[in-house]
Amino acid sequence: MREIVVEPLSRVEGEGGITIQIDGKRIKDVCFNILEGTRLIETLVVGKTPVESVSIACRICAICTLSHRYAALRGLEKALGIEVPPKVHWMRTLMHLGECLESHSLHVYVLALPDFLGYPSAIAMADKYGKDVMKALALKKFANHIMEVTSGRMIHGENPTVGGFGRYPERDVLLDIKKQAIEMMDFAIHGVNLVAGLDFPSSFETDTLFMCCESYEENYCLVGDHIRISNSEVVEIEEYKKLTNENIVSHATAKHCVYNGKPYTVGAIARINNLGERLKNQSGKLYKKYWNDRWLKNPLFNNLAQAIEIVWALEQIPSVVDNILKIKEEPEIVQPTQKDGEGVGAVEAPRGTLYHHYRIRDGLIEDANFVIPTGQNLEDCEKYMRKAVEGLLNQDTDDETIRLQCEMIARAYDPCISCSTHMVKIEHKLACG
Amino acid sequence: MDQEKVNVGLYGFTGCNGDQLTIIHSEDSLLDFFNSANIKSFSLAKSDNDDSELDIALIEGSISNKEQAEHAKGIRERSKMLVAIGNCSCYGGIQAMGLGSKGWDQRFLKVYGEAFFKLRSPIESKPIDVFIPVDFYIPGCPIDADQFFYCFAHFLLGNTPTFPDYPVCAECRWRENDCLLLKDILCLGPLTASGCGARCPSNNLPCMGCWGPMKEANINAEFNLLKEKGFSVEEIKRRFRMHTGSGMMKAMKNILGVL
Repeated sequence: MREIVVEPLSRVEGEGGITIQIDGKRIKDVCFNILEGTRLIETLVVGKTPVESVSIACRICAICTLSHRYAALRGLEKALGIEVPPKVHWMRTLMHLGECLESHSLHVYVLALPDFLGYPSAIAMADKYGKDVMKALALKKFANHIMEVTSGRMIHGENPTVGGFGRYPERDVLLDIKKQAIEMMDFAIHGVNLVAGLDFPSSFETDTLFMCCESYEENYCLVGDHIRISNSEVVEIEEYKKLTNENIVSHATAKHCVYNGKPYTVGAIARINNLGERLKNQSGKLYKKYWNDRWLKNPLFNNLAQAIEIVWALEQIPSVVDNILKIKEEPEIVQPTQKDGEGVGAVEAPRGTLYHHYRIRDGLIEDANFVIPTGQNLEDCEKYMRKAVEGLLNQDTDDETIRLQCEMIARAYDPCISCSTHMVKIEHKLACG
Repeated sequence: MDQEKVNVGLYGFTGCNGDQLTIIHSEDSLLDFFNSANIKSFSLAKSDNDDSELDIALIEGSISNKEQAEHAKGIRERSKMLVAIGNCSCYGGIQAMGLGSKGWDQRFLKVYGEAFFKLRSPIESKPIDVFIPVDFYIPGCPIDADQFFYCFAHFLLGNTPTFPDYPVCAECRWRENDCLLLKDILCLGPLTASGCGARCPSNNLPCMGCWGPMKEANINAEFNLLKEKGFSVEEIKRRFRMHTGSGMMKAMKNILGVL
């Protein structure tokens, strides 16, 4: 028997690894090991005020800090009976688009692309792909700028708070964001064509389920109060536990999720597979040009899905900025109407559906539960890695190729290991709901 | 690899990766950073990493299992200089907010049940200097890019950087903000080391203390002021130790007797 071990798995956020056990020509086991230390964040927010708990929960992850903040705000505001005015809604939409752009451009160009082009890092690609690397970094910088302007800092900004925003950005700053979004479009489209030209191996293709948030408007979206599943089911987010069924495995400090006993996928690929028909303009054209039924079977297409979402996000920004500026009056922070309550908030983090569930008593958090995208993708990720190794063993491939293909599959899910670890929790009697 | 350049390694233990990401987010300086030294290890950004001798090790994150403690010791042994970057590494971060170690066992049970992890042995999160000597601390949650590159340039030249010894309040004044404490809002500006540019008060929101305690912070005075303003002892303690973990706990020891 032999073992192929990848540890640490590089170019992913957090501490993870892959172990592949092979007996002759047969595969014994494939594990995506989650090695990140435990932080017990769900217990840290207990006994805190809603504002304090937002300041803690966003620090689960630096890449998806605003998705955590947004999911927390949606859950907490439901529990506190707060309805925010439209200007707050549009500001949050802008910050969330900024994070989607930041995370996707980091993942597609800096973390994933080097595998396909045969480099150890994006920095090493600079000699041959200098222009593309510089433009990708410029796009990421622009996205970071949006996060800084809206949230007060690139990472863990406190400006989006319970009930609204502490301060609104200047008109000129917002108009500049609108202008830059339009300017970035050419490169974003070029990026989709670049990623579409890559060779995605097909040996491990097999069907799976996809889930994503859906809003009541018939738009392509990153937030919503119900979940659309690729088998046509629609489920309210309050029933998230039925969808996610977290369970603990000994090789991961993150919990694995299954739906009806089966693994499923969340993230850009799930959103495009479920809602892609709603894309319009340039992103709609690119979807029609590149989408085919291999997307339903091959997680590597998540890279292309993210590249298309970059175009979509840039298309949204001008009208979102206009909507913010249209409302002249800057609303005061909305105060809670009740001290006790319970609420579930869900948003699409760049790498998939994120749930925050809070129960509040007498103004303090009594219980909290978070379910994060990477935990939901772990089962499916292992399923595809196992299939890939089986195929490669039949072709007598060397260990290096097996290792690289498993790394590419793991990386395609854009795992966020800090998130996954700190959010997991077993079903316990005191749990919310 | 360049013989003339110093060898640098970046490592992340338990945290959100925000400090390494702050470096990656510095697009204008990122290529210069990679060119100014031999970056031997930076697994968030690249895959050709090695465990060779280092001139400077930069460590993010707290230590939250026995394996990380061993790894940290290994890095210390092969590094001439070791720098803690970010609050988790310097102070333990939010996951070390001082809720007590007995509480930790119970909280672990609540999250993971009787789970057994075959690959890691979890312990309560602690700052890295509990396990290994640290030569320099760059605080912040996350670190500030300008402050980091200021320090890094000093390290490359063999110098020790210095930070100004004033709190967030000084930076807040320079930005001509109204004082939030005067509006009876629980702001930790007077206790917190500067370096962020008073970001939260500039957004009309109170300082949450995410840079850790200023060296000579007058904790007694702020404590009494907040009590006079009607905040409960419980509320004040909770806010004091939320972000700065062990840092503020140490500083609070003097007044814990009177609480």
